[in-house]
Amino acid sequence: MVIQKEKKSCGQVVEEWKEFVWNPRTHQFMGRTGTSWAFILLFYLVFYGFLTAMFTLTMWVMLQTVSDHTPKYQDRLATPGLMIRPKTENLDVIVNVSDTESWDQHVQKLNKFLEPYNDSIQAQKNDACRPGRYYEQPDNGVLNYPKRACQFNRTQLGDCSGIGDPTHYGYSTGQPCVFIKMNRVINFYAGANQSMNVTCVGKVNYTQPLVAVKFLNVTPNVEVNVECRINAANIATDDERDKFAGRVAFKLRINKT
Amino acid sequence: MGEKTPRIYSVELNGAKDMEQTDKGDDKKYRSLRENCLELGKNHHKEELRKEVDLDDHKLSNKELENKYHTNIITGLSSTQAAELLARDGPNTLSPPKETPEIIKFLKQMVGGFSILLWVGAILCWIAYGIQYSNDKSSSVDNVYLGTVLALVVILTGIFAYYQEAKSTNIIASFSKMSPQQALVIRDSEKKIIPAEKLVVGDIVEIKGGDQIPADIRLLFAQGCKVDNSSLTGESEPQPRSCEFTHNNPLETKNIGFYSTTCLEGTATGMVINTGDRTIIGQIASLASGVGNEKTPIATEIEHFVHIVAGVAVSIGVLFFIIAVSMKYHVLDSIIFLIGIIVANVPEGLLATVTVTLSLTAKRMAKKNCLVKNLEAVETLGSTSIICSDKTGTLTQNRMTVAHLWFDNQIFVADTSEDHSKQTFDQSSGTWASLSKIIALCNRAEFRPGQESVPIMKRVVVGDASETALLKFSEVVLGDVMDIRKRNHKVAEIPFNSTNKFQLSIHETDNTTDKRFLMVMKGAPEKVLEKCSTIMVNGQEQPLDKSTAEAFHTAYMELGGLGERVLGFCHLYLPADKFPETYSFDVDTMNFPMSNLCFVGLLSMIDPPRSTVPDAVTKCRNAGIKVIMVTGDHPITAKAIAKSVGIISANSETVEDIAKRLHIPVEQVNKQDAKAAVVTGMELKDMSVDQLDEVLTSYSEIVFARTSPQQKLIIVEGCQRQDAVVAVTGDGVNDSPALKKADIGIAMGIAGSDAAKNTADMVLLDDNFASIVTGVEEGRLIFDNLKKTIAYTLTKNIAELCPFLIYIIIGIPLPIGTITILFIDLGTDIVPSIALAYEKAESDIMNRKPRHKKKDRLVNKQLALYSYLHIGLMQSLGAFLVYFTVYAQEGFRPSILINLRVEWEQDSVNNLEDSYGQEWTHYQRKYLEWTGYTAYFVGIMVQQIADLIIRKTRRNSIFQQGLFRNKVIWVAIASQIIIALILSYGLGSVTALNFTMLQPQYWFVAVPHAILIWVYDEVRKLFIRLYPGSWWDKNMYY
Repeated sequence: MVIQKEKKSCGQVVEEWKEFVWNPRTHQFMGRTGTSWAFILLFYLVFYGFLTAMFTLTMWVMLQTVSDHTPKYQDRLATPGLMIRPKTENLDVIVNVSDTESWDQHVQKLNKFLEPYNDSIQAQKNDACRPGRYYEQPDNGVLNYPKRACQFNRTQLGDCSGIGDPTHYGYSTGQPCVFIKMNRVINFYAGANQSMNVTCVGKVNYTQPLVAVKFLNVTPNVEVNVECRINAANIATDDERDKFAGRVAFKLRINKT
Repeated sequence: MGEKTPRIYSVELNGAKDMEQTDKGDDKKYRSLRENCLELGKNHHKEELRKEVDLDDHKLSNKELENKYHTNIITGLSSTQAAELLARDGPNTLSPPKETPEIIKFLKQMVGGFSILLWVGAILCWIAYGIQYSNDKSSSVDNVYLGTVLALVVILTGIFAYYQEAKSTNIIASFSKMSPQQALVIRDSEKKIIPAEKLVVGDIVEIKGGDQIPADIRLLFAQGCKVDNSSLTGESEPQPRSCEFTHNNPLETKNIGFYSTTCLEGTATGMVINTGDRTIIGQIASLASGVGNEKTPIATEIEHFVHIVAGVAVSIGVLFFIIAVSMKYHVLDSIIFLIGIIVANVPEGLLATVTVTLSLTAKRMAKKNCLVKNLEAVETLGSTSIICSDKTGTLTQNRMTVAHLWFDNQIFVADTSEDHSKQTFDQSSGTWASLSKIIALCNRAEFRPGQESVPIMKRVVVGDASETALLKFSEVVLGDVMDIRKRNHKVAEIPFNSTNKFQLSIHETDNTTDKRFLMVMKGAPEKVLEKCSTIMVNGQEQPLDKSTAEAFHTAYMELGGLGERVLGFCHLYLPADKFPETYSFDVDTMNFPMSNLCFVGLLSMIDPPRSTVPDAVTKCRNAGIKVIMVTGDHPITAKAIAKSVGIISANSETVEDIAKRLHIPVEQVNKQDAKAAVVTGMELKDMSVDQLDEVLTSYSEIVFARTSPQQKLIIVEGCQRQDAVVAVTGDGVNDSPALKKADIGIAMGIAGSDAAKNTADMVLLDDNFASIVTGVEEGRLIFDNLKKTIAYTLTKNIAELCPFLIYIIIGIPLPIGTITILFIDLGTDIVPSIALAYEKAESDIMNRKPRHKKKDRLVNKQLALYSYLHIGLMQSLGAFLVYFTVYAQEGFRPSILINLRVEWEQDSVNNLEDSYGQEWTHYQRKYLEWTGYTAYFVGIMVQQIADLIIRKTRRNSIFQQGLFRNKVIWVAIASQIIIALILSYGLGSVTALNFTMLQPQYWFVAVPHAILIWVYDEVRKLFIRLYPGSWWDKNMYY
C-alpha cells in the first residue's frame, strides 16, 4: 500500500517480498520464526477460546431472562397487522376467468392454507369455546402448556369454504374470495371486549378470526384497489408509516373476455 | 535581474541535492549554472553572489542619482510623486513565500486522507440509487440520502480542518504585524515618520544607531555609521559605512546600506534605491523559498496510517463484495454492503481530531514562547534527533559582558548572569581603583538619555559591543559613570582603530590637589604592554620585569583560551611641569609620551551563555538529542561556549586536545578516543560528502565554527543523510535555505529577520534555546497521545465492521446502520479522542531516545492488531450481546434470526413469524431493526468508555496514572453518555436518524464486557511491566 518515494526496481521489490515470505537467514516465515508463529497461534487460540466461552456464557445468562412461551416485550406489536390470502408477491390478485392457469395457483394456495381449518382437525386440536368471550387459559401458578385455541371451522366460511365448491372459491366465475387474516399476537385482546368488524371497500362477509371477502360483482377488466381495515376499539388503523397495521390494501383485477 | 536570479540561487543552495524540482522553466540554464558553480568550488559562493548583483547606483554621484530617481536630496519626493511610485512598485515589504492558493488548500482538505474513500462511498450510493430507480421508479431514496450524508461529512470535516489550519496560520500573521517598522523620511521638505512599507524609490531617509535599514539605500551622508551585515553576508563584525564609493561591487562598497540590516551606531542619510522584493535581501529570500520543503514526520506517519486503514477497508470491502456476489446476492446489494464496510472502516472524525489535538498543543507551546506556524511541526520537534543551533543569541545572551579581570597577578571572575546587579570580587586593592578609573574614562559609549528607571543591564547604549560591556560593568561597580566622566573632563582623545589597536584619552582629574593630567589607554594587551615599563601591583608601581611579564602572558593566554576578548589597560599621570593646565594636546602630532606607561590590568569579555542553556543542553542529551553548534564565530570562542553550556561535555576531548595533552602530533592521535570535534568552515569546505558523514557519525559532540550561513545547509543535509530529524535555528536571511531544508526550521523571534521567520516552521519568541526543549517535550507527548487517540478510534471500527460481515454471511437482520455508525464516529467519539490529548506523560519522556523516523511508527503492527483483533473484537461481542438481548426479548431468539434476512427485508411480507409464532408486519420489523441499531450503538458507546479509560496509558496501570488526573477524560465520558441519551430519547422519534427509545436496562447489558476490556488491558500492561523485552512485551506493547 505504502507508496515508496525512492523508486525501487521491480526485481528489488520481488526480492523484498521473497525475503518477507521466507527469510532463510533468520528462518522467518512472513516476518516470524516458527516458534513465534506457534506462540502467536497458541495465544490467539486460547484468547479466542476464552472470548467464545465468555460470549456463550453471557448469551446463556441473557436467554434465561426470556420465557419460552411469552415474549418479554410486545411494545412493537400494539397493532396487529392484516394480511390477505391468497398471498401474492405484490398483493395483487389477478384472475383471468377464462384462463384456468391464472387462478389455479391461487386455488392451490387457498386449499393448502385452509387445510388446518378442516372441521375434523379443528375438533381434534382446538376447543370449542363460547362465542363473544375471550378464551383465557391462565397459568394459575402451574404452567398451562400447550394452550389450546378456539375452534374455527372451515365450514363457517360458507361460500368461501371451498368445500364441494365447483366455482373454486368463486375464481372460475369472476367472484373470487379473498381471505383476510389478522397477525397473531400473544395476549392480544382483539376488540377489547367490544364487537369488531372488517370493512372493505366492497362487500363484507364477516366471520372470526378469518374473514372471507367474496367479491360478487367486480367490474371486469379494471384494476380495483381494495383496502380492508379492522374496526375495533383497541386497534388503531391510522398509522401513517405502517401500511399493514390493522388494515391491508391489495389490488384485484378480474379479466373477462 | 530576472534572468540572473537562478544564478544567485544556485550559489545559495549549492550542495542541495533535491533542487531539481525548483524551477522547471529555468531548468536547463540552472543545471549548467550549477555545474559551473561546482567547478568554481564552494569557496566561491560569496564571490559569485557578489558578482551577480546588478547595481550601479553606488558609482553615481549625488546629482546623477537625483536625476535617475527624479528626486531632490534636500526636499525629498513630493507626496504625489511618492504615491504614484507606491502604486507602481507596490509596498516596501518582502512578499511572503509563494503561498498555495486558499482554494487549493481547501480542495486538498476535501480529497486528502480518507475523503477519497468516502467520496467513493457517496458516489456508489448514488449509482446504486440510479440502478434501483431505473428498475423501479418508486424505489426508496435511502441511498441518495446516505450518499448525501457521506458527502456532507467529507465537506464538513474538510471545512473544519481547513479552518483549523487557517486559524493557526493567523497566529503568525498577527505576530508579524505586531511591530510595524517606522522610517524617518523627508518628503515635501518635511521630516515625517511613516511606516517603512510606504517607502518608495527616491525617498530620502534618515537612520540612526539601532534602526533597521528600511530599504536598500545609497548613503548620501554618514557620520560614524556602522552596520551589521551578518544577516546578509554572515560577517559578524560591524562594518563602517560612509558616502564614498569604495568598491566596484555593491556588496563591498561602503556607500550602500541593505534592507533589513541594522545600523549599529552613528547616523546616516540615504536615498532609497530599491524596495521590497527588489532589494538584495528580497531577491535572496524569495529565491530561498524554492528549496524543496521536507514533509513533516507526522504527515508521513498520518499518511502511513491512512494507508493502513484504507488498505484494510478496501481489501475487506472487496473481499466481501466477492463473497456476497458468489453467495448469490444481488450486485446492487453487494455494492451497498461495500459502502457499509467502507463507512465502518474509515474513522471519519479522526483526522479532524488530530488537527484539533495538534492545534491544542500549538496553543500550549505558544504560551511557552514557541510559536508554531505549521501545525504539523508541533510533533516534529518531538522526533528531532539533532539540533543545529546558532551560538549568538540562542545559546548566548547576545551581548558582550565582562567575564574576567586580571590585576595584582590574580584572575578575578565577574558575574555574567543575565541580571547581575553587583560584582562580588575583591575591590579593596589600590590597583582596582586605578583600573576602574581607566575603564570608566577610556570609553566612548554612552547610555541613551532618559533610561534612569531601566535596570542597568537592559539600558540602550550607543557604542560598540565591547565599550557597551565596559560601560555597563563600570556603571554597576562604580555608580554614575557619566558623572565621573563629567568630573574628569576629557581634554584629548584618540579613538580605537584597527592599525593602532588602542584607544587613548587624556583627562583633567577630579582631584583638586593634584593638577596632573591623567592619560588612560586600553587596547590589545600585547600592544598596550609594549608601551609600558612599569606595572601596578597592590596599588604600587613596580618595574615591569621578566617574571611579571611572564605572569601577564600566562594570564593573557588563559583568558584568550577561554575564548574571551581580552583588553589591556594602562595609565600615566603626566608630570605637571611638562604638561601644565594650559597645555594643548594635539592627537595628530601626539605631543605626549607614548611609552613608559604603567600597566594596570587585563579585562576579558565574552558573550556569555544564557543561564538556562546548560540545563537545557543536558536535557537534550538525556533525551538522546545531539546538539550541534554552528557558528560564524572563532573556533576558540565557539569551543569555550560549547564547553560552558555542555555541548562539549566536561570530560570529552577533541583530537587537538588529546594531541596537546600527550604532546604528539595531531595525526598520531587515535581518532576514536576523541568524542568531540571542532570543525571550522575552512576544513568543512575541503571535506567530501563522505568525510562529512564520517565526522557527523563518529563524534557525538560537534562544533562547527567560522562557518558561513551557506555551509549550514550542507551540515543540515549531512545530518539528514544519517536519517536524523534535524531542527535548525537561524535568524539571518541567508539561513532561510537551511531553515527550509531542515525538518523543522526554528527562527528567532527577536533577532530573526522576517525572511527567516517566513521560512521557519516555528518561531522562538524569546530566542532562548531552553524553549526548544519545552517544544521537544510537548512534541513527544503529542506523539504518544496521538497514538492513544488512534488506538481508541480504531478499536470501534471492528465493532462497526463485524455487523456487516455477520449480516452478509449468516443473514441476521442488520445490527447497525450506516447512519448510526456516522453518529458514533462523528458524535460520541469526538470529544473522547480529543480528551486523550490532555493526558500526562506516562514516564519521563525526556529520558528516552528520540523515535527512529523509519522504525517507530505512529501506527505500528502491534497497535493495529491489538486494537482490531483484541479490544475491537471484545467490543463487537459486547455489542452483539445487546443486540441479541433486544431481539430475544422482543420475540426473536438468536436461533431464528439466522438466515432471516431475505424475508425480514421483504416489503410484502407482513406476517413474519417470530420465535413465539407472533406475526410482524414489515414496518414493525423495521422499527425493531432500528431498536437493534440503537442497542448496538449503546453497546459500543458503553464499551468505548472502557476503551477510553484503558487508552490513558500504554504501559502503566491506570491506577499509577491516576484515574482523575485528566479531568477532560471525564468531560468526554459525560459527553458520550449525554449524546447517546439525546440520540435515543430526544431524537428517537425522528425516523430518518434510525434511533428509537431504548428500554433503560439495555444500557447496562454491555457493562460486563466493558469491565472485561478494562481487566484484560490491565493484565496486558501488568505483563508488559513484569517482563520487559519478553515475547509478550514485543507483541502487546504498541
